[in-house]
Amino acid sequence: MLPSTFEDYLEAILTITENGGQSATSQEIAAALGTGREIAETTIASLVEEGYLERATGDAVRLTEKGSSVASVVARKHRVLQCFLTEMLGVDADAASKEACTLEHDISDETIERLSSYMDGAQSPPGRMGRCRGRDASTLLLDCKEGDTVRVAMMRGPRRHRRLLDLGIFPGEIVQIRRKLPNNSVVVRVKGCDIAISPEIAASIIVESCPP
Amino acid sequence: MRFALIGNPSVGKSLIFNQLTGLGVEVSNYPGTTVELQRGNTCFQREMVELVDLPGVYSLEGSSDEEDLVRRFLEQQDTDAVIVVVNVTRLERNLYLLLQVAEYGLPMVVVLNMADEAAKQGIEIDPDPIRDILGVEVVQTAASQGKNIDRIIPAALAASQPSMVEIPYDHHVEAAVRSLGKMFGADRKESVRALLGFGDNPELLEAARTIADEIESRHRMTVAQIIAANRHNFAHRIADLTVKGETLLRQTDPDSILTRLIPGMPILLGILVGMLLFVFVAGSFLEGLIVEFFNVFVLQPFLALGLPPLVEELGRSILLALQAGLGIAFPYVLLFYVIISVLEDSGYMTRAAFLADNAMHRVGMHGGAVIPLTLAFGCNVPAIMSIRLLHSRRERIIASFLVTMVPCSARTVIIAGIVGSFVGIGAAFSVYAVVFGLILITGLVLSRVAPGERFGMIMEMVPLRWPDPKLVLKKAWSRLSEFLFIAMPLLLAGSVVLGLLEFFGIMALFEAIVEPYTMALLGLPGYSATALTFGVLRKEMAFETLAILAGTADLGAVLSSLQLYIFAVVTVLFVPCLATLTVLLREVGSRITLAITLYTVALGLLIGGLMFRILG
Repeated sequence: MLPSTFEDYLEAILTITENGGQSATSQEIAAALGTGREIAETTIASLVEEGYLERATGDAVRLTEKGSSVASVVARKHRVLQCFLTEMLGVDADAASKEACTLEHDISDETIERLSSYMDGAQSPPGRMGRCRGRDASTLLLDCKEGDTVRVAMMRGPRRHRRLLDLGIFPGEIVQIRRKLPNNSVVVRVKGCDIAISPEIAASIIVESCPP
Repeated sequence: MRFALIGNPSVGKSLIFNQLTGLGVEVSNYPGTTVELQRGNTCFQREMVELVDLPGVYSLEGSSDEEDLVRRFLEQQDTDAVIVVVNVTRLERNLYLLLQVAEYGLPMVVVLNMADEAAKQGIEIDPDPIRDILGVEVVQTAASQGKNIDRIIPAALAASQPSMVEIPYDHHVEAAVRSLGKMFGADRKESVRALLGFGDNPELLEAARTIADEIESRHRMTVAQIIAANRHNFAHRIADLTVKGETLLRQTDPDSILTRLIPGMPILLGILVGMLLFVFVAGSFLEGLIVEFFNVFVLQPFLALGLPPLVEELGRSILLALQAGLGIAFPYVLLFYVIISVLEDSGYMTRAAFLADNAMHRVGMHGGAVIPLTLAFGCNVPAIMSIRLLHSRRERIIASFLVTMVPCSARTVIIAGIVGSFVGIGAAFSVYAVVFGLILITGLVLSRVAPGERFGMIMEMVPLRWPDPKLVLKKAWSRLSEFLFIAMPLLLAGSVVLGLLEFFGIMALFEAIVEPYTMALLGLPGYSATALTFGVLRKEMAFETLAILAGTADLGAVLSSLQLYIFAVVTVLFVPCLATLTVLLREVGSRITLAITLYTVALGLLIGGLMFRILG
């Protein structure tokens, strides 16, 4: 098993190259990990030596096949853990991401598999879970278009917005987007009443499309 | 006998209350809160019945002041029956509150209001399912036509049994209710409320919390969510049984124009500017009439009496204060309140809040802040009181700063009376432009520096309707009387003190001392400083005082246009008036009040000084 810093590097390079670009420069990598450029370069050098990375043009590097497989395993662990922390435990998204970054290195492959299938099976009442296979797969009420009819799947920070519950916006309820301003304030129709919602609150409501 | 009216906001509760009690309504603070309750009496078969109009709420379990008040009121159980008013056009959502109230176990009557609206929308209502499921009397009414209102009190008098309805909860919640019942002997209502974190038995609450955590971990939904969902679903079932044959007669939807950016935004701006313009023109006309009338029929006859100088000075001060008070209260404050009440009662205010949400976010608040900011044009005092509808302290602090800077009707008098009459109407509007610009900058800065977290807006767009003229006038009148109650005594006292200081020559001394400073800083004569100081008591007094001290009402003859303009700008910005300071202290505390005071004084002097340097 690689030391956790090496895994972090590979994961960071994977993210950078996934977001466009064939290769990652040491500067980008250092910025993504929040370390100094010199330290980054030393680590990159040893990763190249070990055969996880290969040199591209200039000081840029890209993942070898070997490096790529390690990186995607780590990235998947990160996703599963983050999904578990945010969706099941209700940990704040940023904190969950940080937490996932430390946990991902020590957790065994088997536990990750079990955790992942546990979350898959946990969809007992359909639609209660936000789908988060990819990191951004869930739709927010904020992203819906005017006229859409959607089902509320989950609400982040359920204790904060008691009024939403009292007005009838709770997991499982079907709402219709009546109006959406360019600045993302929305009006939704629920139980025959129109409710105006600020963008930051609409961003905390996760929805899924519902069959018409 | 005492009955309480309870219901969602804008279900016609106030209208029913009004029709049942007529005038002679007593408005009182409920102990421990600043939310007001209306109480009124009505007679039925020679028996006195007291009615309490509780504020409109969506739930009994929220954290707002209103919900807290209604909850505590019901807990006291000193009501003979509750009358739950339900808007049948929004039956399902209204039934949610009805079910919560039913759980309290007080005798109750259900009023299915707005039967006429429902008929118009093609909704047919069968009251029997509600009667059967809840086991309570149901009255169908149309308050706007006064239909069946007379059946409410007899039904309430006859109501002796609480509703026996049991909302079917999730089986985990039911199990929790059973075990809490076994362990602590708590009844169903107590157990459910303990699971939601309400109650006064610490052991019960502790046990309920443990169980609630357990349920939450199993469901991945909070207990509050589960219970709310169960209630909503039960309400949905009842609504399905009650609503027969819903033929959707689609009417024209005014929201299709009101809540779109175009033309919604221009309409909103048009309404605000139109409101200002109307009060400006109509107000100054009426004020002129009142002041003139007072001069000819009260002030001049009094001065003609030839009383001893000290008595005459005192009397003159009191009469001047009365004149100023009446001259501002009726034309300006009342007009503003009538317009604002129309906007509120028609439901337009919620559309304005929605449209303004983005703009209000820029200055660190949410759309709801439109309401205090608009109220502030009438008088800052009720506006400060209404900042409670903002959730976080951060928003309340920002709102209190901005509200105190909004030119209220008293400051409108200054702007109209000094700048409008002696400099020009364009200049008068430029004062507004300057003040609005400063409000915007203040908001932008405060939204960066004010501590605390942001909350968003969750607001029901209440149905649009024609406001009831009687209710509008009543609301405007009660706000006006609030204004008179706070302002008049201050005005009288201030005026007398001013008169005495003037009489004994202390004023002249003060003016001689400050004159060099005011001349150097603002280019204004010493007596203007006195006028500014008295502006703290009541803003419009600055105008009156200036006229008195200048020795003429024709201010244009003694002061230059620039001096008048600077005086008006400084007065408008300078320190909120005493009444506003009093409510500020109560609402946001002494530190913020002090900060607002210092900020506005500094801002007023700074802007005045800059204008003097640049334009002078």
